[in-house]
Amino acid sequence: MGKINVNSNAYIITYSVVMVVIVAILLAVAALSLKPYQDANALNEKQTQIVKALGENPETAKYEDVIAKASIIDAEGNVIKTEEKAVFEALGKLKDSFAKGEFPLFEAKNGCVVIPLTGNGLWGPIWGYVALEQDKNTIKGVVMDHQGETPGLGAEIASDAHQAQYVGKQIFVDGELTGIIVKKGGATVGSVNEVDAISGGTKTCDGVTDMFKNSLANYVGYLKPAAAPINVEEPVELIPVTEEVKVEAVEVSNDKIEQSNE
Amino acid sequence: MSNLKNVTGPLSANNPIIVQILGICSALAVTVKLEPAFVMGLSVMVVTAFANLVMSLLRNGIPSRIRIIVQLVVIAALVILVDQVLKAFVYDVSKQLSVYVGLIITNCIIMGRVEAYALGNKPWASFLDGIGNGLGYMAILVIIAFFRELFGSGSLFGIKVIPESFYEAGYSNVGIMLFPPMALIIVGVIIWVHRSFNKDLQEK
Repeated sequence: MGKINVNSNAYIITYSVVMVVIVAILLAVAALSLKPYQDANALNEKQTQIVKALGENPETAKYEDVIAKASIIDAEGNVIKTEEKAVFEALGKLKDSFAKGEFPLFEAKNGCVVIPLTGNGLWGPIWGYVALEQDKNTIKGVVMDHQGETPGLGAEIASDAHQAQYVGKQIFVDGELTGIIVKKGGATVGSVNEVDAISGGTKTCDGVTDMFKNSLANYVGYLKPAAAPINVEEPVELIPVTEEVKVEAVEVSNDKIEQSNE
Repeated sequence: MSNLKNVTGPLSANNPIIVQILGICSALAVTVKLEPAFVMGLSVMVVTAFANLVMSLLRNGIPSRIRIIVQLVVIAALVILVDQVLKAFVYDVSKQLSVYVGLIITNCIIMGRVEAYALGNKPWASFLDGIGNGLGYMAILVIIAFFRELFGSGSLFGIKVIPESFYEAGYSNVGIMLFPPMALIIVGVIIWVHRSFNKDLQEK
């Protein structure tokens, strides 16, 4: 070692090249040999979330026991592919799949369907799954996750308490897709498609609203034939209810003002 | 005997977090629960130990002008390896640690030990020095995480330890424990307690 000039340019360049090549080979080997395990983990996570969206406990209910069929559909609702591998591949790069017109869909054995969602929060991507009841309109369950929303604020979209609000809500109102509106200031009483936003997490919640609307819009062709007839009756009942509530509220507040004036 | 001191020294008298005040950022970020804190500590220990070992083996051949670059490449390669292994075998924890595994590269403890110790000492001693500093880091992380998980979530390693009857009697989890500021306060308290027992560390 002593004979070589450690600080000559030739030595430095050779040293760098050799070092970089060795490190590159090492990392490439590691990445390739660990890839099957990592892919299995990622797949397992997706399956767990799908099971959770359906309201089942992923520890007791396995994906294979719950889901009858995974498929990719087009905008009209026709099945394009049914290979599970292709479906999960499309799920892995959901934004690209949506842009290409490939929409992954999971049909559960009990007639429910699970639809993947993707969108943007305040700081980064947010994603999730929504499970719909047999009527393809009422929400059975929602699972959402995020990459880097603010802990305690936007990140609360991933909490069970927030996600529980979505259960029983409807994505079609009056036969039109409205998705779910995460409403700042709180959901209107009696509303079928609004949930409470998170204080301090408004931007993330707006992202969730957009995520539902934009992602579900891809599935209207599939969902609508089933969902439309159910919605014919509902608006008739609903609109008066919300109006009554508003009128009452106004009256009450007037009374209070008068009383306080007296 | 002197080699043993490399391991025990950083545990208390020369602890990287509470004496040298290095690596605070990750100590605040990943200590909400014990499991990620433990895995993070372990990861840092592995990286510190092997970065020290590799750099010590290479120390006579490294051109001093590109010394820091070589250190960064070695550390970065080790961190990527650790990240890949975590993703493959403890996926949930790796998700909780998220960017902080990648940020081990910038953890001052590792660069500090490589630069200050490994470049001037024999491989075995350097390796032990890395283990010692990693252990010192892990110890503080685990202590912080213990308090944060116990009072913030009422559990340890994800297992509920505060009985349901406490909650029924009106006890509730301390929300602020889940946020980084509380971790900083806990670090401060640890430093305070540590220095009150080690008079020689107190500044005049």
